[in-house]
Amino acid sequence: MEFENIHTLINKYWNCETSTQEEQILQDFFSQEEIPDELKEYAPLFRYKKDSQSKTLSSDFDKRLSTAIREQEKENKYITVKIFAPALRIAASVALITGLGIGIYLVANQNKKNYFAETYNDPNAALKHATFALDKLSDALKKGEEASMESLRELEELNLDWAALDSLNMEQMETNHSEIPVETENL
Amino acid sequence: MNNDKFHQVILPLKDKLYRLALSIVRDETEAEDIVQDVLLKLWSKRNEWNDIENMEAYCYRSIKNLSFDRLTYNSLRKTDNIEPDKEHLAFVDNITPHLEFVQQEQRSIIYKCIDELSDNQKLVFQLREVEGMSYRNIAETLEISEELVKISLFRARKKLKELLEKYNNDGI
Repeated sequence: MEFENIHTLINKYWNCETSTQEEQILQDFFSQEEIPDELKEYAPLFRYKKDSQSKTLSSDFDKRLSTAIREQEKENKYITVKIFAPALRIAASVALITGLGIGIYLVANQNKKNYFAETYNDPNAALKHATFALDKLSDALKKGEEASMESLRELEELNLDWAALDSLNMEQMETNHSEIPVETENL
Repeated sequence: MNNDKFHQVILPLKDKLYRLALSIVRDETEAEDIVQDVLLKLWSKRNEWNDIENMEAYCYRSIKNLSFDRLTYNSLRKTDNIEPDKEHLAFVDNITPHLEFVQQEQRSIIYKCIDELSDNQKLVFQLREVEGMSYRNIAETLEISEELVKISLFRARKKLKELLEKYNNDGI
């Protein structure tokens, strides 16, 4: 009697003519132990429905969600303060400009100080050291001058024929010029 | 006021939302993660709630969209969960009359059958069979016509019936 009812119900079910209540009756029927052989093949479908319905979120989900919401809230507040408070923006820019100004001023002053540093206490000692250093320099310069005068003198003593040397130079230049076309022909 | 709405309207939906996500991604951790993300986003947009006509449908749609996004991002996850099916296929020759084994096999058969359905059919099937929603509710939720809901459900049931009969004849 009941089986017949189930048979009509399941046919209605396949045709999508069942109401949700009738579908519940089918599901209850298939969740029992004794199912007639000709209907057994459909049991997995209804078992799947029941299995799926029993799936729920883990118990600590609410706790995790509220923690996540609180964290998000905190983050949002922080961002609002950071971006939208105009006083904070002005204060930040003033601090930045003063900081930069002081920094540049300090660096510039530091460089100035180091150029001319006083290292002598006694002006006479300073004069003495300076004269000594300048004397050494002039000695060295004098030696260099003498050496160059000497070599000039030696050159003059050689009695070179400058005109001949010049013509030699010219010849060499001409030969260099004439070589160029020969090379290109070879290529 | 918004706080009340969140507790009275949205939070009671959480398990239904979770089951929908689970039916798509087939991974419990991932599904919980999706529900949390959707609820978190809803809470952050609580000033716009008055513009949402059907909050329940809106929640379902958000879950559906995020779940499919996650699936495409991580398409491997789905195959991960089908692995056990393949494992038991190795034992098909060994017919053991264990009831537990048979049930497990049948369970994986139904998963395989559901995998054969199209995305729309799967969603309609889930909302109707598992959540017991009316055709009109499903139509509003998925933003499709009631006719299409009926057609999808009809095709889904027909396909499942055929596949179950086929497995039954071939298998045991």
